[in-house]
Amino acid sequence: MAVGEGTMNNSLQTYQSQWNERLPALPGCKLLSWRAARQKSMERLLQIGLPTQKMETWKYTSGKLLSQRGYTLPDPACLGLDPEDLSPYLLEQQESNRLVFVNGLVAPFLSKLHDLPPGVRVESLAKVVNNAPDEWEPYLEQFLTGPDQGFSELNHALWADGAFVYLPEGSRLEKPLQLLFLTTTSQNPMMTLPWNLIIAGGNSQAVLVESYATLGQAIHFTNSYTSLVLGDKAQMRHLLLLGESPFAHHVGTLQCTQTMGSRLHSQLFSIGGKITRQDLHVTLAGTEAECSLDGLFFAKGEQHMDFHSAIHHTHSTTRSQQLYKGILDEQARGIFNGLVHVPSGVEQTQSQQTTANLLLSDRAEIDAKPQLEINSNAVQCSHGATVGSLDPEALFYLQSRGIDFATARTLLIHGFAEELLQRFSPASVREWIERSFHFGGVHA
Amino acid sequence: MKMLQINDLHVSVLHKPILCGVELTIKAGEIHAIMGPNGSGKSTLANILAGREGYQVTGGKLLFQGDNLLGMAPEERSRAGIFLSFQNPVEIPGVSNARLLKEAFNAHQRHQQLPEMDALRFRDYLQSRSQQLGLPADWLLRAVNVGFSGGEKKRNELLQMMVLAPRLAILDELDSGLDIDALAVVAAGINALRDGQRCMLLITHYSRLLQQVVPDHIHVLIDGRIVLSAGAELAVLLEERGYGWLSERVQ
Ligand SMILES: Nc1ncnc2c1ncn2[C@@H]1O[C@H](COP(=O)(O)OP(=O)(O)OP(=O)(O)O)[C@@H](O)[C@H]1O
Ligand SMILES: [Mg+2]
Repeated sequence: MAVGEGTMNNSLQTYQSQWNERLPALPGCKLLSWRAARQKSMERLLQIGLPTQKMETWKYTSGKLLSQRGYTLPDPACLGLDPEDLSPYLLEQQESNRLVFVNGLVAPFLSKLHDLPPGVRVESLAKVVNNAPDEWEPYLEQFLTGPDQGFSELNHALWADGAFVYLPEGSRLEKPLQLLFLTTTSQNPMMTLPWNLIIAGGNSQAVLVESYATLGQAIHFTNSYTSLVLGDKAQMRHLLLLGESPFAHHVGTLQCTQTMGSRLHSQLFSIGGKITRQDLHVTLAGTEAECSLDGLFFAKGEQHMDFHSAIHHTHSTTRSQQLYKGILDEQARGIFNGLVHVPSGVEQTQSQQTTANLLLSDRAEIDAKPQLEINSNAVQCSHGATVGSLDPEALFYLQSRGIDFATARTLLIHGFAEELLQRFSPASVREWIERSFHFGGVHA
Repeated sequence: MKMLQINDLHVSVLHKPILCGVELTIKAGEIHAIMGPNGSGKSTLANILAGREGYQVTGGKLLFQGDNLLGMAPEERSRAGIFLSFQNPVEIPGVSNARLLKEAFNAHQRHQQLPEMDALRFRDYLQSRSQQLGLPADWLLRAVNVGFSGGEKKRNELLQMMVLAPRLAILDELDSGLDIDALAVVAAGINALRDGQRCMLLITHYSRLLQQVVPDHIHVLIDGRIVLSAGAELAVLLEERGYGWLSERVQ
């Protein structure tokens, strides 16, 4: 492996030498505190290593990810991308704001940020950290929270850019804001490591669409980390659209800390990638804080999708809801693991977790399991997991009305997803999702 | 003209014979009714005509407008003009009535090489049909049969029949579960479809429907055989005397 040329395999030594080489140029590193934070993450990574099959929460996925080839860190080369190239990945509403990243770095010419309310900031995190490192030091904290896990540490040690979104108290984003992460084909497969920091002040409101896509059929690795901080009574709808190439690997974390009365509605839709692992960690750290996590994933071929959520009810009177639905065809493999944690002394919390899965082939597989760690009695908690296949009676019913088998199948699959699909808005996102449902038949 | 021709039809389920030599011919413009005890094979016959899997046809012929039905997929039979109103319509979560009707209607249009109806016109068309049946405004947006009462499911079957305007309608106990007023609405719907080009096969346990939709012939099916065929007046007799005397006659 030619380390000097920026190629690395999955051994920690090569990550480390990459890091040594690149550190001085990485965002924030002119300042000791940022440097130290990266240093700390690197040390932690060396200590704990990347996840292995021995770790319960990684047993299905680590092996597949780690057996892969080496990746190159992207160089800030100027890419001749045309705004036209982006159109399949954009929210159709032309007027909606967007911040675009290509190969992990901000692409100002492809971005469009206009009429943001006063005080609202949507910028490149690298730029923010380089220009005013002191100002943002308080948020360094965000490095230190979240899952203690090798890929996150790798992200924190090596991140080169990402989105910085700041909503001052009481502000309101009328239009959805799209954060688009595109990876292009390149000679050597790339690993991008975006870190997004989103701070929603008290009483602020916004809809964010974080989407990941590949231009062409590139092999690449996205290791993303998004930190969300919701202030008192902030309301955030966060959409995560995973639609990378069928050769891509995606390891992502969404880490959210919520204070009193805030509300997070996370909506995930995953259809791309060869191997996808997405973690969602929510800490309900204030009374009356509430989160609702929706997920819809569709995997076929040899796709492997692994979703792990963890909701920590650290305060009384907090509520959480989860609904994850998986559709698995051919030899695809899906995993859903939902952890709900209520420590002792925390009371009057409510949590609901449902996962329903549809297997379209004998060879498809799903492992869906709730994981409840409830150490308090004064809680309401329910969970359910189902796995099924298409109802032959329903198929016959539709066929008996003149609808061919393939269309009938599409209608039923769509029907399975409908409950979640209709929750997606704006309409352009819902349409995008429906378009990407290539069931080989009529779009329902 | 002969629409449906069934000759010496033998059908088994899991090697158990259910239909044992059924003979039935229905001509254009005719309405036939089949009555008979529970488990005698009425729904089996209806399902075989619609092309449901899980049955073994061990002998006989099934012709619709001269074509061999046995080689046709369920959707092909539907497009050829066969409609089955199910005894127990299935619930389909997440698929709206409007969606099903649109897909079905357009599949029929394509089959007849007619243009598909555009979304707006089709919506108006559906709305007028559902009003005709006294269905509430949100009916079309609801998921197919999900949470519908027994009677509502039957009305939904009738709505589908009216939209698809079949040449052969097989109505398997369309009247069971309907209240008296609903039965009158359903009967009116059936009669509206009645013309010299179409035919119907009604399966029922009660003479009430047959008083409102008067059949040309009534057949009694017992143990997989048609043991008696007569005119519309047979319904009243059966209601009075039941099937016991006929069973004895068979033996
Ligand atoms: N899939 C099946 N598996 C096993 N037995 C079956 C199956 N389908 C039908 N049968 C049997 O075939 C016989 C005829 O059933 P069918 O539903 O045709 O009766 P029916 O005349 O419609 O009765 P009802 O008046 O109660 O509706 C019954 O004994 C039934 O149990
Ligand atoms: Mg029956």
